[in-house]
Amino acid sequence: MSKNISQKKYEDYELEDFLTDEFFTQWVKSPNENNSHFWEKWLNSNHKKSDLVRKAAGFIRSIQYQENAELSNEDYIEVFENILKGDLSATPIKSKNSNSTKWYSFFSIRWAAAIVLIVFCSWALFESKIYSDGEASEVVWVTKVNAAGKKTIIHLSDGTSIHLNSNSKISYPENFSDSLRIVSIEGEAFFDVIKEERPFIVELQNAKIEVLGTTFNVNNTNEDKVEIALVSGKVKVNDNIGNQIMLAPTEMIVLEKNGQFSKKKFDLRSITGWKDKYLIFTEDDFDTVIQKIERWYGVDITAAGEFKEHWAYTGQYHDESLENVLEGIAQTSKISYSINGKKVEITK
Amino acid sequence: MNKNPKEQSNSIFIPPNHLETFKVFEKKADCDIWEAFNKGDEMAFNYLYRIYVQDLYRFGCQYSRDYSLVKDSIQNLFIYLRKKRGELNEVTHIKGYLFRSLQREIIKNIKANASIEDFEDNFLESHFQIEVSPEVSFIQNESNDARKKQVQLALNQLTTKQRKAILLFYEEELSYKEIAEIMNFSETKTARKLIYRALSKLKEFVKPTRN
Repeated sequence: MSKNISQKKYEDYELEDFLTDEFFTQWVKSPNENNSHFWEKWLNSNHKKSDLVRKAAGFIRSIQYQENAELSNEDYIEVFENILKGDLSATPIKSKNSNSTKWYSFFSIRWAAAIVLIVFCSWALFESKIYSDGEASEVVWVTKVNAAGKKTIIHLSDGTSIHLNSNSKISYPENFSDSLRIVSIEGEAFFDVIKEERPFIVELQNAKIEVLGTTFNVNNTNEDKVEIALVSGKVKVNDNIGNQIMLAPTEMIVLEKNGQFSKKKFDLRSITGWKDKYLIFTEDDFDTVIQKIERWYGVDITAAGEFKEHWAYTGQYHDESLENVLEGIAQTSKISYSINGKKVEITK
Repeated sequence: MNKNPKEQSNSIFIPPNHLETFKVFEKKADCDIWEAFNKGDEMAFNYLYRIYVQDLYRFGCQYSRDYSLVKDSIQNLFIYLRKKRGELNEVTHIKGYLFRSLQREIIKNIKANASIEDFEDNFLESHFQIEVSPEVSFIQNESNDARKKQVQLALNQLTTKQRKAILLFYEEELSYKEIAEIMNFSETKTARKLIYRALSKLKEFVKPTRN
């Protein structure tokens, strides 16, 4: 497994041995199941080395280029396009099928064209289509806002129903146009979209979701990211820098503001439980717990006293009163609380 | 001191369709991806471009601050590889292979522009300069900043070869085998020895605390 060239045992390792060990460096820089499993076990039985290991890991992580150049988006595209254009002047590539040469260069032109088209135009087109649709039929938009502590169910003209969470806002045309169903949302909502021919589009600040008939949860509460979790059906997510992502049921995507995104599986109840009155905490730190309660019950919470850094709370409440929730947390987490109308005080 | 542009722009433009591409290739071994590319699979090319172009660019900029030269070199490298599809050799470590190829291309282009002596004498010193990032948990006492500067200074007094090997090993996460290939060592262990000796000199800065 390890390429331990020095042939020393790990327990005899000095600093420079750790620093030059490929397996160790790999664990520090790109931990995966395999190397973490080994090194965590090893550290557990070699406590004396933990300081040394920490130093070595810190050193490895701190090394970086001084000239940390990055290709700009423009250059990224330019180089990509030039490479594809390079094909056009290419001597034919070797292939069993002589037709395929033509096919490749055709493909390349198509690719280049597609990129230019999609990247630079599609968004604008998409946008203008929506607005022209809107203007043509002089749509009346309805806006609904839920304050903290309030959740509602909204039924749209096409039969679609939307659970709107607390601290959230939704706008939609009173009647959809002939070609498009569209809503825009801030905060969190659960959609149960009726399947029909008109696409259904959910507009978010940083992304657009396009669906036909599906159930899914959108959470844009945190300004830095959007979470879209698909329960059933199919959705297509476009962010505003050109990424297009398809989601399959039980998949969830997290779009960061900086354009990064990640896909993962999700636990159905902890994501969508809110619509069925489940208040769920999963290894939540203190601030998260406070935020969730404030939002759920529409109260202001002040906290006094010191809380441990690794304080975490896990628990599930179905349609419970504020007092019962606080009591539940208090019992397992050594806090005390007092409720005074819409004000809650928590002390350690 | 150089500015570090890393924090500023994490968002990299990704052409549409690249995500699907990503899903197809992310779990595949390098030699399979390369084989697909060699067979003319456009998705494989998209994948290679997306995964490696930023790393290649940063690596290339260690040799030259002439950014358009670096860009052209990357461009030429990929155009060349695309033309050679169908007859490319097997590649098991793509990153190391691309680095080696780009290095050759860049040095060729630099040499075409300047005299060789110029390149060897004046430029080499400034190549592969190391920065010690703010994460300096290995440094003990309160005067973190001063220590950080000391370590950085010491690192940058190493030979260019040593610095290059260190950066390829830690920052690029290349194996000793790949480093040896990029640096033209006939034996893999030469790469490890190079780093080992360089770091022995620095040991005093990184000493663990003894309580």
